[in-house]
Amino acid sequence: MNWLRETFLTPAAGFYLALAVIPPLVLLYFLRLRRKPQAISTTLLWQQAIEDLRANAPFQRLRKSILLFLQLLALILLAIAIMQPQLRSSAQKGGKRVIMIDNSASMTATDGKDASGKVSGEVTRLEEAKQHARDLIEDIYRGGIFSSQAGETMVVSFSEQAEILQRFTDSKSQLLAAIDRIEPTHGETSLHEALKLARAYTANKLSPTGEFVPNTEDPPGIELYTDGRIKNLDQEVSRETIHFVPIGSTSVDNVGISAISVDRPFDRPTSVAVFAGLVNFNSEEIACDIQLSVNGTARGIQETKVPGATINPSTNELVPGRANVVFVPFEQPQDAVIEVANLRKDILLADNVVHTVIPAPKQLSVGLVSQDFKTSLVARALEGMALRSLVPMSPADFDARVAQGTTDAFDVVVFDNCKAATLPAGRYLTFGPTPPVPGLTEYGEADGQVVLNTKDESPAMRFVSMDSVFVAHMHSVQAGDQVEVLAEGSTGPLILSVSTGSIHCIHVTFDPLDSNWVYQRSFLIFIMNSVETLGRAGEPLTEQGYKCGDAFTARIPANATNVSIQSPDGKNNPVSVTESGQAVWGPIPISGLYTMTWNTPDSGAKSSRTFAVNLVSMTEGRVDVAPELKLGNETVTGDATAAHHYVSLWPWAIALCVALLMVEWWIYHRKLYL
Amino acid sequence: MAAFGQTTAPPPARIDELIDSRLLAKLDQLDVLSRKIFAGKLQGERRSKKRGISVEFADYRHYSHGDDLRFVDWNIYARLDKLFLKMFLEEEDLSLILVIDGSASMDWGNPGKFVFSQRLAMALGYIGLANQNRVSLYCFGSEGLQMLPSLRGRRRTQEMGKWLLDLRPSTAVGPTTEQVVPSPFNDAMRSIALARQGKGVMVILSDFLLKEGYEKGLRYLSGGGFDTFCLQVLSPEEIDPATHGFAGDLRLTDVEDNDHAEVTISAALLRKYKENLSAYCGKFREFCVRRGMTHVTIDTGTDMTTLILDYLRKRGLLK
Repeated sequence: MNWLRETFLTPAAGFYLALAVIPPLVLLYFLRLRRKPQAISTTLLWQQAIEDLRANAPFQRLRKSILLFLQLLALILLAIAIMQPQLRSSAQKGGKRVIMIDNSASMTATDGKDASGKVSGEVTRLEEAKQHARDLIEDIYRGGIFSSQAGETMVVSFSEQAEILQRFTDSKSQLLAAIDRIEPTHGETSLHEALKLARAYTANKLSPTGEFVPNTEDPPGIELYTDGRIKNLDQEVSRETIHFVPIGSTSVDNVGISAISVDRPFDRPTSVAVFAGLVNFNSEEIACDIQLSVNGTARGIQETKVPGATINPSTNELVPGRANVVFVPFEQPQDAVIEVANLRKDILLADNVVHTVIPAPKQLSVGLVSQDFKTSLVARALEGMALRSLVPMSPADFDARVAQGTTDAFDVVVFDNCKAATLPAGRYLTFGPTPPVPGLTEYGEADGQVVLNTKDESPAMRFVSMDSVFVAHMHSVQAGDQVEVLAEGSTGPLILSVSTGSIHCIHVTFDPLDSNWVYQRSFLIFIMNSVETLGRAGEPLTEQGYKCGDAFTARIPANATNVSIQSPDGKNNPVSVTESGQAVWGPIPISGLYTMTWNTPDSGAKSSRTFAVNLVSMTEGRVDVAPELKLGNETVTGDATAAHHYVSLWPWAIALCVALLMVEWWIYHRKLYL
Repeated sequence: MAAFGQTTAPPPARIDELIDSRLLAKLDQLDVLSRKIFAGKLQGERRSKKRGISVEFADYRHYSHGDDLRFVDWNIYARLDKLFLKMFLEEEDLSLILVIDGSASMDWGNPGKFVFSQRLAMALGYIGLANQNRVSLYCFGSEGLQMLPSLRGRRRTQEMGKWLLDLRPSTAVGPTTEQVVPSPFNDAMRSIALARQGKGVMVILSDFLLKEGYEKGLRYLSGGGFDTFCLQVLSPEEIDPATHGFAGDLRLTDVEDNDHAEVTISAALLRKYKENLSAYCGKFREFCVRRGMTHVTIDTGTDMTTLILDYLRKRGLLK
């Protein structure tokens, strides 16, 4: 009986109508026809004519009942019309539908079919999807006799975020224009927001009284054009009828860069180490040339073999092959744009290039804990550095800050011949008393020390000559396993470096005033090296990482003018700036380098800031089209053919019924049959 | 509005309504034509096969005793010395018998078949009287056979007209009448055949639409030496019902026997009816020809003058 329910919307109504009208009609017809009496000279010839006509017409009984037959047929057609027959056809007509087009990164793959249905390598999946959607719109709104039944359509594009490009309308031109406005993005694919938007527009409707009331109509049909690589799809619940049109091929030819990391080595803060992660979705091993560029200039190419993807036998899921690329650290003390590119061409170019921006060296905020700030030579040395701030404080003040938990405001805290009760996580340069750091154990004091050895390769000791340094008095310290001795004295270490994970500390075991070091240039160099090393090393060098779909937020001068962002495709996009100087722009459409520029109001100088946006997504990297979607417990199988729908046939039944009645009328009046 | 085929014109009340005076004048020039020379009771204007007294020589024969000497050809006697008797064709009067069908079916059509038959009989009877023929008229119907005895001479025209005016067709059988009245045609023909004397021309005016058949009745007439003319009078409604508004779902009732036929008039039925009518008339004509009779179909819509002066002359009834 499924076919009955699929073919007729209201079969019961039609059956009842047929039962109500057809038997009475047949009954009336079998009752004798009330004929007009007519006297005639003789019935001789008429009787003969009747008999001849009967004899010559083998289907006389049927012909005699042709009017009954036509009337019965008309009634049956009327009953069928009441049943609201429908025909499964190529495009949904009537009602509401939502066209959802995936414009995520994977839809930029160049295995889309062109107008002739062939994969030319130049058509993206998004272009193919848009063409499908355009064809659907043309099909639905092509006009015709029952075009008023075409219903309304909404156009939504979705990637990481969804965007309504056209609300529900039956305007063909607006819908086509909305589809044309869909631009590719390099975001990940998420259907959740698109479904939320569609439901928001169909959950309520405007009542005749002008109020929004819950919509009791059937949920809209969804035409979903995507390659099916949608994250978190199993968390969705389908309440709508989804027609999934898979876009793309089953090709998995893609090797993408899944991660990038740029660090300054702890021991070489002016150098940059670049790491990149590669994923291979092909089943076989692929050799790739990975190129590193700095500020647009290639620094090197490294060949890497990425193993092929495998199938996890327990989950039956594709596990891409992975490989890491580590570039030799290179000197880059200034800000720069680092680009890592996979030179191998595959069908998805969006994940073949990643960028990161190394910011300009930041100015450090230093806290100086000293008993007497005015006479402290360390303070004088720090004042000569280009610091953002130098905050003097007493040990009691520092302890108070520790209690308040505000010590993390300083990049480096310098203890000048004093010690704190406890040291929270942070970076410290200490002189004199042994700080409470694991690995440093003071066991006494010593006098008359000369420098026997220094570790010149340490960044803190770079260009520091301690050959002529004499130390009159020092604290004897036993160094633990995690302690590195940077300068060795006569009886013990003079300078140590401790790194315990949360605490980085360079400790000088003597008060500089107890030595002649303060009179030497190397003392200043040491302080500068130590503060720079502690202040910068060990932290990621990259700017805040953005991904497609996010919004840029940057603080610029509050009254800056001509604020704009140039996107990787060369477009200049105006940026809105709040009164407090917060510039916001988004969502970010594609990956690449974005440059925000503005004019400083006071000087009029043009300032800029560069952001890097990368596509580093395992979901988008897998480019083979999914044959089906699993929304919660429901599985939607992809249907590459044109969208199916049901065309209402009741108007045709009514039209045929009227035509039959006209024929019946004509036959009756032409007396064609006895 | 009158029912289909019902005669709407009132029956003629005067003789001049039966026959137009202008037509009457033209009829004086006509005579009834017989293809045979008949023996009659009285000498008339008709040439007879009998040898007799007239001016038209026929033959000679040997004189025999008792012959009228006035007819001896004395010139022959002078030359041959033998007596030969001249024989002349004797002119005799013609017996014209007009038979009118007065059954109920004749009271139908526009113009009505019975009235039409009355007028035609009046015209033919007048021609017969004007030519000194012996004219007899019969009318048969469900009430029986009515007869007007032999008339002769123009002066009997009024008598004939009055008799014709007094004729009425049989009453139609009512729809509730169960009794089926047999057609009087056969009885009438038998009676006429038995009652006739001598030879002559017989004209039967009827529609000949007889369910029991016309064959038996006409056989009575076929052997008596009568020159029989069967004038089949049909109304336009019978000849072409479609063009006269015969349509709809009808319950046809035969006015003579109350028979019924339920029909829905259709093109096919009308076509079949006309085919049957044509076949019926053709069969009737063939029957007549085989028995030396003349069959003439007459539409009551035909103009009487045209009919008599042209149509019947061509068909050999009049000259």
